[in-house]
Amino acid sequence: MKVLVIEDERELSDSICSYLANEQFICERALDFQTALEKVSLYDYACIILDVNLPGGSGLEILNELKKENKVDGVLIISARNSLDDKVFGLKAGADDYLTKPFHLAELGARVAAIIRRKSFEGKNQVVLNELTLNLAEKEVRIKNKPVDLTRKEYELLLYFISNKNKVIAKNAIAEHLWGDNMDLADNYDFIYTHIKNLRKKLMQAGAADYIKSIYGMGYKFST
Amino acid sequence: MKLFAKYNRIILLATIIIFLLASATFYVAIRYILIGQVDDDLKIEQREIETYVKEHNVLPEPIPVKDQKISYAPTSEVSKERKFKTISGFDPEDNEKNSYRVLKFGVTANGKVYSVTVAKSLQGTDDLINSILLITSITILVMLVVSLAINRILLKRLWGPFYDTLNLLKKFKLDKKQSANFPTTNIDEFALMNETLERTTHQAREDYLLLKEFTENASHEMQTPLAIIRSKLDLFIQSENLSEDQSKTIQSAYTAVEKLSRLNQSLLLLAKIENNQFAETSLVNLEEKIEEKIKAFNELWQSQNISVSTSIGNALVSMNPELADILFNNLFSNATRHNIPNGSVRIELSTKQLKITNTSDQKELDRERLFTRFSKTTGSTGYTGLGLSIIKQICDVSGFILNYSFEKQLHSFVILW
Repeated sequence: MKVLVIEDERELSDSICSYLANEQFICERALDFQTALEKVSLYDYACIILDVNLPGGSGLEILNELKKENKVDGVLIISARNSLDDKVFGLKAGADDYLTKPFHLAELGARVAAIIRRKSFEGKNQVVLNELTLNLAEKEVRIKNKPVDLTRKEYELLLYFISNKNKVIAKNAIAEHLWGDNMDLADNYDFIYTHIKNLRKKLMQAGAADYIKSIYGMGYKFST
Repeated sequence: MKLFAKYNRIILLATIIIFLLASATFYVAIRYILIGQVDDDLKIEQREIETYVKEHNVLPEPIPVKDQKISYAPTSEVSKERKFKTISGFDPEDNEKNSYRVLKFGVTANGKVYSVTVAKSLQGTDDLINSILLITSITILVMLVVSLAINRILLKRLWGPFYDTLNLLKKFKLDKKQSANFPTTNIDEFALMNETLERTTHQAREDYLLLKEFTENASHEMQTPLAIIRSKLDLFIQSENLSEDQSKTIQSAYTAVEKLSRLNQSLLLLAKIENNQFAETSLVNLEEKIEEKIKAFNELWQSQNISVSTSIGNALVSMNPELADILFNNLFSNATRHNIPNGSVRIELSTKQLKITNTSDQKELDRERLFTRFSKTTGSTGYTGLGLSIIKQICDVSGFILNYSFEKQLHSFVILW
């Protein structure tokens, strides 16, 4: 599967590609409008990460081009403009999701994973990972076919971990994912710890392996 | 004191003093002239008597004339001097006291010396003086009243442009869309004042807009570097062989970047609110919104052992839904952040107001600086110092009134709409 990162800031583009590239994904980059337009019309991508402000043109024009060519690539807009208008406009123009800079790579990873899931497993809304099966429509988790009773936050947390499996996720990123960035409570991580502890206990009690590892109090890693 | 009142007071005082002085001088002058005339008459009478005595060598029979009395009295010494005097005596005709002007002189007739007294009634003169004074007084009084009235009306009209300008200035706000347009006037002083004010307010607005634009641009420009730092940190922690010390260092860097981006977001939000980018309003069901927020915060309160009590009524308010969300997030975050373990939060929603009360170890907050940006009471590291400014700004644009009260160690924020 190929992912295209259209972002003029080379450093950011580098970070995104190194984070996303793994055995599943091949990450391609476009640093300006022309290159982006060429790549988009030549190849098909599972997901396009699109910056709105590009040298040479607007990212929204690329969206229009995709639509014109009837391409089904998933599009995630990343924009420095934290404006609702941009968001609404981008989503109306056919983008699948919208993320505001600055974001955590883990958040980006989760959004990209969600877009790809929606695009490629049409109808079959399931994520399977070893003994874990997540039913995305029902928001239900089964381990060896037995349902596990998780709270909404625990379910979201598990999906977030699976979307970023084998990656270290910072506590800050987890907090932001669970609570949204409107909550001005940056230095309170106790409740995250509680959630993770409970999730881990529930998964292990239901017979799953111990996937979630704490990394020096800095973050967590879901290793498979 | 109003300008009119002060002006009128001075003018009134000056007019009354001048009026009194003028009346007194007038009285003295008229009296002096009129008495001079009576004296002249008396002198003519003297001359007539003296001529008669010279011709006939006898005293003339006193002819009774109205207002004039002549009497003779034999005297021993001859005085050549004429003596004028004003006396008051009884007038049998009018049956009242009257004042007389009296001339005394000596006359020699038949070898005998007589002292002649000619008295002329001053009644007519006094009447004249009184009427003149009365007419003068009435004229002056009327003039006084009329000039006061004219002054009042005229001043009001003359100062009209000044008050127009004043009212405009009162309403003038730096963050309003259009600049103040002062009325044109043909009075040079006011025109100059308006022109100066217009220039000053225009300059102030320009500076304000520039500053605002700067903040906005700075915040925008900061987003990309922040995104890069964050992404590099996210990548860095993927390294397999980080030591515990390194992890701690990274955690500190994370927290700092987090704070910076939060700060940045808050500044951008404030700029957007000021720019009226949240102008669209709809009816927001506060009951639903608050219940939703309580649900979201409940976990957090439980983890800190904060007890929650609520009294939620119906409330529909017209405001921007996005701002409503931010407002309640900030209010609830505020009540949580500054709370103490085992503390409490009370949320009361009625049709007219929302009251959020929380326990805290902080003393009463300084009302003066409460809503100013970056006014921090404690050195809480994760806190940007913009939360209350955002709450205040949202209340302002939504037309709500925000109050703070402190009672029995409880901090309350009340929003009235």
